[in-house]
Amino acid sequence: MKISFTLNGKPVSCDLPSNRRVVDVLREDLGLMGTKEACGTGECGACTILVDGIPRLSCLMLAAQLEGRDVTTIEGLSKSGETLHPIQQAFVEAGAVQCGFCTPGMVLATTHLLSENPRPTREEIREALSGNICRCTGYQKIVDAVELAAEKLTEKGETA
Amino acid sequence: MITKVVGKRVERVGILDKVTGKAKYGADLEIPNALILKVYRSPVPHGIVRKIDTSEAAGVDGVVRIFTAKDIPGENLYGIINKDQPVLTGEKVRFEGDPIVLVAAEDEESADRALAALRVEIDELPAVFDPNEALKPEAPSIHEKGNLLFERKIVKGDVEKGFTASDIVIEETYETNMLEHAYIEPEVGVAYRDEDGCVVVLVTTQNPHSDHAQLVSILGVEPEKVRVIQTETGGGFGGKLDISVQPFLALAAYHLDRPVRMVYSREESFQATAKRHPLKIRMKTGATRDGKLTAMKAEIIADTGAYGSYGIAVATRAAVHATGPYEVPNVYVESKAVYTNNNWSGAMRGFGVPQIAVAHESQMDKLAESLGFDPITFRMMNAFTTGSVTPTGQTLNASVGIRETLKKIRPYYEQLLREADATQLSGLTGMKYGVGVASMWYGIGNTGHPNPSSAQIEVDHEGNVTLFTGAADIGQGSDTVLVQIAAETLGLPFDKIHLVRADTTLTTDAGATSASRQTYISGRAVYEAALEVRKQLVERAAKVFKVPANLMVCEGGFFFPQYREFQKLSLTDIIRRSLVPGEVIRGEGYFNPETTSLDPETGQGVPYTTYAFASQVSLVEVDLVTGQVGVVKTISAHDVGKAVNPANVEGQIFSGVAMGIGMGLFEQFYPRKTKSLDTYLIPTAMDVPEITPVIVEVPEPTGPFGAKGVGEPALIPTAPAILNAIHHATGWWVNRIPADLETIRGLTSADEMEKSKS
Ligand code: FES
Ligand code: FES
Repeated sequence: MKISFTLNGKPVSCDLPSNRRVVDVLREDLGLMGTKEACGTGECGACTILVDGIPRLSCLMLAAQLEGRDVTTIEGLSKSGETLHPIQQAFVEAGAVQCGFCTPGMVLATTHLLSENPRPTREEIREALSGNICRCTGYQKIVDAVELAAEKLTEKGETA
Repeated sequence: MITKVVGKRVERVGILDKVTGKAKYGADLEIPNALILKVYRSPVPHGIVRKIDTSEAAGVDGVVRIFTAKDIPGENLYGIINKDQPVLTGEKVRFEGDPIVLVAAEDEESADRALAALRVEIDELPAVFDPNEALKPEAPSIHEKGNLLFERKIVKGDVEKGFTASDIVIEETYETNMLEHAYIEPEVGVAYRDEDGCVVVLVTTQNPHSDHAQLVSILGVEPEKVRVIQTETGGGFGGKLDISVQPFLALAAYHLDRPVRMVYSREESFQATAKRHPLKIRMKTGATRDGKLTAMKAEIIADTGAYGSYGIAVATRAAVHATGPYEVPNVYVESKAVYTNNNWSGAMRGFGVPQIAVAHESQMDKLAESLGFDPITFRMMNAFTTGSVTPTGQTLNASVGIRETLKKIRPYYEQLLREADATQLSGLTGMKYGVGVASMWYGIGNTGHPNPSSAQIEVDHEGNVTLFTGAADIGQGSDTVLVQIAAETLGLPFDKIHLVRADTTLTTDAGATSASRQTYISGRAVYEAALEVRKQLVERAAKVFKVPANLMVCEGGFFFPQYREFQKLSLTDIIRRSLVPGEVIRGEGYFNPETTSLDPETGQGVPYTTYAFASQVSLVEVDLVTGQVGVVKTISAHDVGKAVNPANVEGQIFSGVAMGIGMGLFEQFYPRKTKSLDTYLIPTAMDVPEITPVIVEVPEPTGPFGAKGVGEPALIPTAPAILNAIHHATGWWVNRIPADLETIRGLTSADEMEKSKS
């Protein structure tokens, strides 16, 4: 079926089997490899994307569910002209990345959190990210990064 | 020593690609026209393969080729320490998941249909799942040589005399869990044959040069006909030391004229890769009334499952470290690795030491309590110091930081005790709070075996500096640390050094990313290479300035004769003036820490040149009603020799504590049952508390800038500190991990029964 949606700010239209998983659409059909698949069954959060600003697990979504939606993947997070979004910058500065496989999902989940709650407590950060598993970092530097990102965004008077 | 790059929190190599989604992991490589590989695995845990009928599967649309054991051109056997594992088994299956047939197809659906169309007949054999049962003479024999893979003995002094001279002896049995690494990136790779007929395998791995050697033997080809390139790797924790998809990729690429791709689903990653060895430990420890350890005896049985993998290393490490970081004059240890029909166990962060630490640290607290010492005082009275002799008879001459780590956690311990008391008073009924301490030691590098690393540094005529290392960075940060060491030694800024890593054609063997060895061993090899290049550069610069080389200064990327900084020339200036196009300056580095093999009868010898030490204190809360244990705070002090990158060291500490919480409280892999992250729970951000890392630096003279290692040590004290805290909170000794809901609820109801009786 023909599916039209906005992807990282640009309209796209493709002909896809309606039951194709969104993670495959993004990675295989559209070549956006930043979205990771680590379990395929909705347990890890590595495949997180933003659909109308809400984090969704792309391994559990089907192509048809994209119709008319506004999709953001890690590739589309930073505005044109800036190399890194302030959240990505915060992850770099806090050293919140080890193997990096969970990172795109973490960054996108953070984007949503900070848009809802611009100055979350560490507890709130932990809770908001509890659907995103990281086996490497022990989470502490990720929590640091989210706090730092919150500061950066409030300073700039921006929201995520 | 004043350093400019080493000891600094530099930005991690590769981090920009990781936060933007550009980093290329195995699944992200775009290889046009690649075939998909899938494996048919044994549905039974033990049996003889009678017949493999591939005819129907071969006829499935989209199927290109089907491989069985007979298609393997070289040796159909692999294994990192002892070769006992077939790539595709044609005769015997030894666990549920043993690979039998490999399918290459145009797409996943065709490959799946082919798997369903295979007819494999297996005569089931009686299986054995308990290592104690497997050792009985009547047990089914899993391998021809019998079910005992290996036994390690350590004998020091006279253990029975030691017990006789003790005022108190405590004997207890401990059991630890089978664990899944659950690195977030499943096994994946691609392969193709290049123009020269070389089979190129790009794969997620922590062991590229060993992969290469194993593939060469499986394909039966010359070494230059195989090339292994490590892709960006999404974690390993020991699980990516054994080969997984590599032989399937290599085999298919060898036979077919098309590139191939293989990725394990999470379920396959669970079923078909190594686990942490569960250990059964019987430990007896004696001490005198005034608090001196006198003797320790341990019997250890490790379930190594269907294949050897790292079983020998695990049984050995558990034995060597069985006393903990304490002086014990009389020691007797017997440690066995035993085959069963369970999933095979292999390397996982710490190789048996996290397991044995559960035993020795529980024993320490039991003795301390009985003798009336607090846990830190009792540990301090027995902890190693310079000149101490280990159970293998090795005298520790340098970098023995255990006492320092205990001193560092003492104030936190006291503060947490007060907090626990205060929370207990104001807290809810049914909640108990307690504080627990644990320490550890960990030998860096392979046990009693040579484990060299090598590295090269090149400077070309334009002044480009390139570091070549075979070391695989799997997320722990060796790329960053090695570049820091090179930059510091060369007197160059961090970002001046270009890195080529983990490609068996372009780099030489650095050994595995395991045993917490890369900073120490590969770091030293890089240091040696850099020293050599620096020497050559200084000689060139001396010629440019027409002064003797010993009067040249090299600092911050500039060269100048002593006291003449105003004349300084950059590296590029020196290079331009002294190298012709095409000429390079090259330095080779090599390091192999001194070890001796352990005596087969007594285990005496020098297993490692150096050891890391750590002490940790945790505050836990125990919910007596739900059985849930939560870790509220953790302070972890690690003697790393020198923190080449303090941010990386902290990252490892946070990581290890998180993994230790899973190990101590809820992770448990059930062979043949656990299939997904839905039932195998790993810690989330909610399960891990705020952690205070404390870095202790007692320099190791043979390490680069004094550095040792921290990757595995970070995990080791966590589970035992939790168990000791549970005891402090509730009075119960938990001798089995995980201390999960059922365990705690079981103890609560046993307690209630006891109370109602009296
Ligand atoms: S890959 Fe989608 S949740 Fe794990
Ligand atoms: S950094 Fe490896 S899983 Fe998060």
